[in-house]
Amino acid sequence: MSRITIPIGPQHPLLKEPLSLVLEAIGERIVSASMRIGYVHRGIELLCQRRTYVQNVHLFERVCGICSQVHTTAYCQAVEALLGLEIPPRAAYIRVLMCELERIHSHLLWLGVLAEAIGFTTIFMYAWRDREIVLDLMEELSGGRVSHSANIIGGVRIGVSSEQARLLEGQLATFAEQMEFFRELLDRDRSFHRRTQNVGYMSLEMVHSYGVVGPAARSSGCTVDVRRAAPYAAYPSLAFEVISASEGDVWSRAQVRLMEIMQSLSICNQVIEALPGGPLAVGAPRRVPPGEVVTRCEAPRGELIYYVRSDGSERPARIKVRTPTLPMLMVISHLLPGLETADVAAVMAGADLCVACADR
Amino acid sequence: MQTLAKLAQVLILPGALYLIVASLFITWLDRKLVARGEGRVGPPWFQPMADLLKLLAKEDISPLGTDEKISALLPMVSMASTMAAGLCIPVGNSVVYPFEGDLIVVLFLLSIPTLAYFLAGWVTPSVYGVMGGNRSLLQYFSYEVPLLMSLAAPAVYSQTWSVTGLMDAQQGYRWHVFFLPVGFALAMVGLIGKLKRVPFDIPHAKSELGAGPLTEYSGRKLALWKLTVSLQTLVGINLLVAAYLGGADRIWAHWGFAIYAVKVVFLVVGLAFVQVSYARLRIDQMAESGWRVLVPLGILQMVVTIWMGKA
Repeated sequence: MSRITIPIGPQHPLLKEPLSLVLEAIGERIVSASMRIGYVHRGIELLCQRRTYVQNVHLFERVCGICSQVHTTAYCQAVEALLGLEIPPRAAYIRVLMCELERIHSHLLWLGVLAEAIGFTTIFMYAWRDREIVLDLMEELSGGRVSHSANIIGGVRIGVSSEQARLLEGQLATFAEQMEFFRELLDRDRSFHRRTQNVGYMSLEMVHSYGVVGPAARSSGCTVDVRRAAPYAAYPSLAFEVISASEGDVWSRAQVRLMEIMQSLSICNQVIEALPGGPLAVGAPRRVPPGEVVTRCEAPRGELIYYVRSDGSERPARIKVRTPTLPMLMVISHLLPGLETADVAAVMAGADLCVACADR
Repeated sequence: MQTLAKLAQVLILPGALYLIVASLFITWLDRKLVARGEGRVGPPWFQPMADLLKLLAKEDISPLGTDEKISALLPMVSMASTMAAGLCIPVGNSVVYPFEGDLIVVLFLLSIPTLAYFLAGWVTPSVYGVMGGNRSLLQYFSYEVPLLMSLAAPAVYSQTWSVTGLMDAQQGYRWHVFFLPVGFALAMVGLIGKLKRVPFDIPHAKSELGAGPLTEYSGRKLALWKLTVSLQTLVGINLLVAAYLGGADRIWAHWGFAIYAVKVVFLVVGLAFVQVSYARLRIDQMAESGWRVLVPLGILQMVVTIWMGKA
């Protein structure tokens, strides 16, 4: 049979964000894959050098449409480290609360995208319906569903009133029931198993050599979670498990994410229980003393790294962002050859790419 | 006068006009049921009609390298053959043109749209179309054999190869589905394969091939394709109702159409239920389940049927 070239993207129903994947196939079997990114490059790292530190909080919130909170958390942490500021405990807890709510909605979004890619529209609809609960909670807390503007340098902008805490508790309980339903559904459903088990296998060696991070790495047997390895904000005082699995296929990536949602729910409940009083933020000077700093956060997709260098002015000299999607983009063209064309959808959706994050 | 009456039958009831209106209705019913199953609201009742009219009015674009004549001919041929098949199948108590052996003609006519669908993919310059066409052909070989076997079983059982004859043989609630349940299940699976619905929506798997063979279709031609799918659904269901569910029970002659309609709706609900409950299979899984599970079951059903006839 002759070779055919299947272009996937920059515009394709499989892709939620533009990237170009060119597959070479013989019949239905993929023999090679190459990828091109950069379609949503916005030059954010250069833009931020022309804006003040305060303005940049809002700029970095817009790096990603899903994990906006964790970007500002990492950025604010970096600037606070340069300033030598200690944020109030209440602010640290609220940052954790927002980050975990974001993780929940990101993982559920991923589940929906995966389900749609393998043609299971019902799970897609259910996952996105239940994701609304979390988005509504975030809107209730911050006024925004996706861009929350919750973090400011020196603390947070938003508080959590006791009514809001009660609302959160109630809604999260409803949500936990829904997640039990999902877990049972994915455990039992054979058609979901047939499309995800033993598909897109990634070994622990690949994880290490490409530097894959986050749930994708943890489903291949890696047990690194920045929340545990280098705790930040209020994570040192919160109890949670680092979920990992060893199968390394799309199925185990789904399992790890579902279990992580349960852990995030527990963290949210702990935060609501133990939320300390006090101020929301401390004052921060406009000018940042010279120096450089690297901070890490656990974004929904894995380790997010911010490097900030200051020259003593009110604008940063250089900021470098390393998003968790980058190693996944590199590893993916090695996962695809040898697969059926139908599995490309499962692997691509299962990789949980955030192209806007990676392009910036 | 008789010619006029016959013409009215062909063009209006239970022929073309009825088939189109009823197929749009069951398309709406199906979409509504699937939507409710997925936790959505679903479209209003006139949506399929609105979609059809909108597409008919849209600009017809075909990319360079398409064979214009063939790509225009294919949807027309599929629609015509589907409707012609509909004329041999009873609707309620009435049927336009029944004859002995029409079951074979119906099955032949119903397989033409699949071949046209394959060609539709093949004549476009789009790689999605070509791959979707290949897949639809491979799928055709996997489901068509069990489907033929599942419909041959009641024919052997009742010793008639006419759809109307099959319906008559089941009068007095001696429905084939009670005697040949495996055959009915196979026929349902085969019908889902023929209609390319979940879990057999492989030729137009959205996340891989866009719209498959129909990727480069637009305007009127796409409208005809969409209508063909609706008609195929209705005619396929009509066939199953007549062959397995007793059609319109002639005991209550005046209620024939109502009884038939209830059975059609029942099967639409079944199709919608399957649509909501499964993920799409891979093409290799489809071929495997077709030949390893469905065909042996079909053979088993045939053997049992012949043995039942002897006894």
